[in-house]
Amino acid sequence: MSPTSHAPMFVREMGLPLRFSLYVLLCLFLLALDARYAALSGLRAGLNTVLHPVQMVLAQPWHWLRGAGGFFVTHGEVSAENAELRQREERLRADLLDRRALADENAQLRALLALPPRPGVIAVVGEIQAALPDPFARKVVINRGEAHGLAAGWPVVDAAGLVGQVTRVFPWTAEVTLLTDRGQAAPVQNQRNGLRIIVSGQGSDSLLEVRFLDAHADLKAGDLLYTSGIDGVYPAGIPVAEVVRTEQPRHSPFARALCRPLGGVGQYRHVLVLKPEPAAAPTQPQQPSPRKSPESRHAPR
Amino acid sequence: MPRAEPGISKPLLPQGAELVAPPTPARVYVSLAMALAATLLPWADGMLWLVPDFTLMALLYWSIRAPRLAGLGVACLLGLVTDVAAGVLMGLNALAYCAATFVILMVRRRLEGFDVPRQALQLAPLLLGKEALVLLAGLMLGLPQADWRWLAAGLVAALLWLPLAWLMDRLTGYTRVAAQGEAGPRVRV
Repeated sequence: MSPTSHAPMFVREMGLPLRFSLYVLLCLFLLALDARYAALSGLRAGLNTVLHPVQMVLAQPWHWLRGAGGFFVTHGEVSAENAELRQREERLRADLLDRRALADENAQLRALLALPPRPGVIAVVGEIQAALPDPFARKVVINRGEAHGLAAGWPVVDAAGLVGQVTRVFPWTAEVTLLTDRGQAAPVQNQRNGLRIIVSGQGSDSLLEVRFLDAHADLKAGDLLYTSGIDGVYPAGIPVAEVVRTEQPRHSPFARALCRPLGGVGQYRHVLVLKPEPAAAPTQPQQPSPRKSPESRHAPR
Repeated sequence: MPRAEPGISKPLLPQGAELVAPPTPARVYVSLAMALAATLLPWADGMLWLVPDFTLMALLYWSIRAPRLAGLGVACLLGLVTDVAAGVLMGLNALAYCAATFVILMVRRRLEGFDVPRQALQLAPLLLGKEALVLLAGLMLGLPQADWRWLAAGLVAALLWLPLAWLMDRLTGYTRVAAQGEAGPRVRV
């Protein structure tokens, strides 16, 4: 039936309540499929592939505006920024030298202890395209997807620290769930004393929390929390949060700590997606005498 | 069925507003697509909870003005597209859109007679209810937490109904004076 703008003289169709119930049933069916069985990822990826070019086109004027704004910065600003960047680069280069020496030393020590080498990571740079209008979660969309080799589960960081995790991958885009989402958690280690805890989001943009903290745990305001790497998802040593305060609720045997995320969660435009390198084959179960020839087990670079 | 005479398919009796400026499928679907595009714009992260649901507003507008062109099927389809764009569970917005359209189709004869400010007043609970329905349905389906600030989008939508519906009335040639037949049929204002 082609849609006409006027009513037909003889109505030959289902009544409105019946049609409504059918559509409600369809929606509930889809909801159940998606919520319980995750069976609609193909349909979602397909529709997303159609929507993506449209969204790109719609976002284009904003890109041009930002580009035009950047064109008109003054010479003074540029040269000041250039000087600052130069300084920072020199500092970073010094740090890098230091880090390389440390990495060498670490590899040597690990070989001595016959530990498997730490999983390396390759970074993919992505640009945040938009925040998702989702009232239930804190998510952003980045412009890297399956075509760039991304997969769900990979950690996302920026220059300052952990930002979140890739949760859904589409052909050219990916959804990143931010660390501040209530469903996200990261295993961390206190830098000061090595205490291992789990930091989770609490749905607020500026605070993370440690739930169910031991009442006597040694955690103080100002402590820095780094990923511990024991979950196999986040590589160890990424800055995550700084403890703001700990509190002891009256009716709970557990304490609770509030932390401030270090990474610019929802602030920067560019993020790094860390690719977990396929972990090296697990080392042989304890050789008879691990101290015999440590040099032979040096990991090839 | 092929039309024999061009004049025969016209309705015999004047049918209210539709005689003045019949909403063509092109108008309806293009404006719905534009409303959907408005929701797909890269809105700033901090103000997402204030962005009204333009798609729903356009849908409700056409459900009042042209219920034979924009109805439950269109609502369901647009809802699914919105679900994918927002990354929420499939069917969440579709359900809310269908419910809102259903209510509108039930009371549309009454809404047709109101002027734009009174319409906005009547539609405010509906626009607010849609946001509440989405949040509640999500919570019932086991999502951990809902951001209740998003209810504000419903109020913003009710406020924006005033300029947008007025504009659409002017653009489509529909005015209340003409609808009442005082200016006679086929008069554009």
